[in-house]
Amino acid sequence: MSDAIANSPPTTAPQPATQTAPQPSAASFLGLLPGILLLAIVGYAGKFIEQFITRYGKAHHLVLPNIEYVLWAILIGLVIANTIGVPQIFRLGVATYEFWLKTGIVLLGGRFILSDIAKLGGISLALVFIEIALGLVFMTYLGKAFNLKLKLVSLLAVGSSICGVSAIIAAQGAIEADEEDSSFAIAAILALGAISLFVFPLVGHLLHLSDRAYGVWTGLAVDNTAETAAAGALYSDAAGKVAVLVKTCRNAMIGFVVLGYAVYWASKGQAAGIQNKAAFLWTKFPKFVLGFLLISLLASVGFFSKPGLLAIGNLSRWAFLLTFAGVGLRTSFRDLSKQGLRPFLVGAIGEIVIAIVTLGLVFAADRLFHL
Amino acid sequence: MPVPSRRLSLDTWAVLLSLTLALLVRIGIIKVVPW
Repeated sequence: MSDAIANSPPTTAPQPATQTAPQPSAASFLGLLPGILLLAIVGYAGKFIEQFITRYGKAHHLVLPNIEYVLWAILIGLVIANTIGVPQIFRLGVATYEFWLKTGIVLLGGRFILSDIAKLGGISLALVFIEIALGLVFMTYLGKAFNLKLKLVSLLAVGSSICGVSAIIAAQGAIEADEEDSSFAIAAILALGAISLFVFPLVGHLLHLSDRAYGVWTGLAVDNTAETAAAGALYSDAAGKVAVLVKTCRNAMIGFVVLGYAVYWASKGQAAGIQNKAAFLWTKFPKFVLGFLLISLLASVGFFSKPGLLAIGNLSRWAFLLTFAGVGLRTSFRDLSKQGLRPFLVGAIGEIVIAIVTLGLVFAADRLFHL
Repeated sequence: MPVPSRRLSLDTWAVLLSLTLALLVRIGIIKVVPW
């Protein structure tokens, strides 16, 4: 995810990556604090409500539904963002939710030993390849059928097959697409991500999916990483963990797919050629994947004690708590309604098909490999 | 094409913060993190 997003106002259609981010300074750091504090308050309020309901149920011998703090944090954020709005003073800090997401993912490495990653990651990688190929081909076909501009089709295909907003921003620069196209594609992906937060857990419960199967499905089918983590955690802590691992496998593919598109559009004379492909891949590769693997490696070789691993796992949970608050706070239904209908329709149809096909893949993988 | 920035990316900052926190846990400065 680019710094441009982290420094832009929270909107459903972030400014493109070409925007110049302000240089870091003590003043700009202080400017982040109100928003980070708001993330912490909203996230903690969600946690407080979850615990309050549990305690109330126990005290009064009532069987109340166990609704995860994730949903409460997102709902509180949504209500604030869509009623009074997020005041300007909080916006810079709220936009750091992407940073907390990456930090949470890296620290999550402490909750996986490498053999887990090798097993689940190996199966996931195979499924990710199928999902990406399917997503790219189907979205391209669908976009053309709806007469969308070809570069917008490329952005939608990259966004829905790999990793949502960061993939779209990476691809926008590489294929020299219009900023308007990237805003449309980002808005479509974010709107669909918001819907999936509510739909995926419902479908998972209806089908009685195991935590692992649901996590793999969510990691394959939900596009934006923050929404993937939230949709997974809404089901269960274990499902959230698996969803993030599978999504991380998808994120690792971003450079290769964007490079493919860049080479394609350069061959048509509509984008600059790539001189050094290895350097391009390294630039686009999400570095937090390496951090995640490093922490997992350290955990696997016994670098941390058991209480230490517990502390690292809980630090990861706190970072995700800030992320989930940010997901609600940055989602403005008014901004979403301003996007073009056709990109949204193409995205929606594509997402539904991808969700159904990946669900089939997960069922097959579960039977074959006992996820 | 945008001019490449020399500043560290958001990903890199996230990795650095995570490694620092993990190190603080390892050397015992952060002992317990409640949840």
